[in-house]
Amino acid sequence: MDKLVRLTAEDRDNLTAYLDGELDEQATRRIESILTSSSVARNDVEALARTYELLDLLPRPVAGKEFTEKTLTTVRLDGQKQPLSQREWVRKLQDAIPLACWVAAIFFAACLGYSVTNHWIRSRDDLLLEQFPLIQNLDLYSEIGSIEFLEQLAADQALLDEIQGGDQQ
Amino acid sequence: MQIVEGTVSANSVGSSAYHRDPDVQLMLRVREGDESAFEQLVAKYQDRLIGIFTNMFGDSALAEDLAQEVFLRIYRARQGYEPTAKFSTWVFQIASNLASNSRRTKGRKKEVQFSPSMSGSQPVHAGEALVPDKSALIPTRQLDTEELREHVLSAMETLNERQRMAVLLHKFEGLSYVEIGNIMDMTPQAIKSMLSRARENLRVALEKYIT
Repeated sequence: MDKLVRLTAEDRDNLTAYLDGELDEQATRRIESILTSSSVARNDVEALARTYELLDLLPRPVAGKEFTEKTLTTVRLDGQKQPLSQREWVRKLQDAIPLACWVAAIFFAACLGYSVTNHWIRSRDDLLLEQFPLIQNLDLYSEIGSIEFLEQLAADQALLDEIQGGDQQ
Repeated sequence: MQIVEGTVSANSVGSSAYHRDPDVQLMLRVREGDESAFEQLVAKYQDRLIGIFTNMFGDSALAEDLAQEVFLRIYRARQGYEPTAKFSTWVFQIASNLASNSRRTKGRKKEVQFSPSMSGSQPVHAGEALVPDKSALIPTRQLDTEELREHVLSAMETLNERQRMAVLLHKFEGLSYVEIGNIMDMTPQAIKSMLSRARENLRVALEKYIT
């Protein structure tokens, strides 16, 4: 009666490897010990061996003569076509691309900087232009003196009427 | 070794170990402009590549296109070629990548009946000589070779793309787990597990024909 031998996953893998002569000495001894004591394992190995032999029936086509000639012709034609990467203008373009990128980046940075300074940082001229109406009447405003005086004047209706009456005369 | 379109990353430390590979020698001649060397490489690898791709996709026309694409990529990379692995490793790395890309873009085509009339490829009936001699494989009911081949092809369809590639590289090319791992960018342990599962799937699919 066969001794019951529990095959591990490793053992099962090793059955095939044993047939292929791929096991080291220690693993080979283990498998041979299993095979000695287990008819199930022996049957499995035999079945695996026979299955493998059946693969000899797989088709092994031979290339026709035209295949060889066609292949060589294709290869020769391909060799005559210069790959795009080897063309002079492509190589020069590839060399120029990093420089172009730097120039573009600097130009962009300059534009960005100009926009920022132009929009957010106001020049003295801008300030002057903004205050031009004030500057234009500066002499008159100097005589008035203060805003509070103007407000008191506006609040004194009698004085305003007298002034307007004097103008009409 | 990293595959970059048109170039191969140089690793001069290990390069001398692969100079003894005759295919590497041929490729180095291709690098120097020797077209006859490239013809020799095409002749050496065309059947192997078409065989892999035919069994990956069940379409011999697609297989030829992909094989041609492999050679085209090799040729384009010739000027930057440095031998940092066996030449066959590099070839099948390209093939494996192309197979993955092809499956992603085209989807799995319905398997067509493989017959000598398809495109330019001619079938080599390697299996025909084998089955009659291996009488232990034939169950009590008689199966002709073609019928059995169909069952094997159907069984292969139960595998996913990576399992199928690994099985084909192991079966057709006789590559080790380490070599397959280098091609498929996997560890040998991962290849072992994957092949184990793949072969178990095949065993289940072909159980009736091996007992």
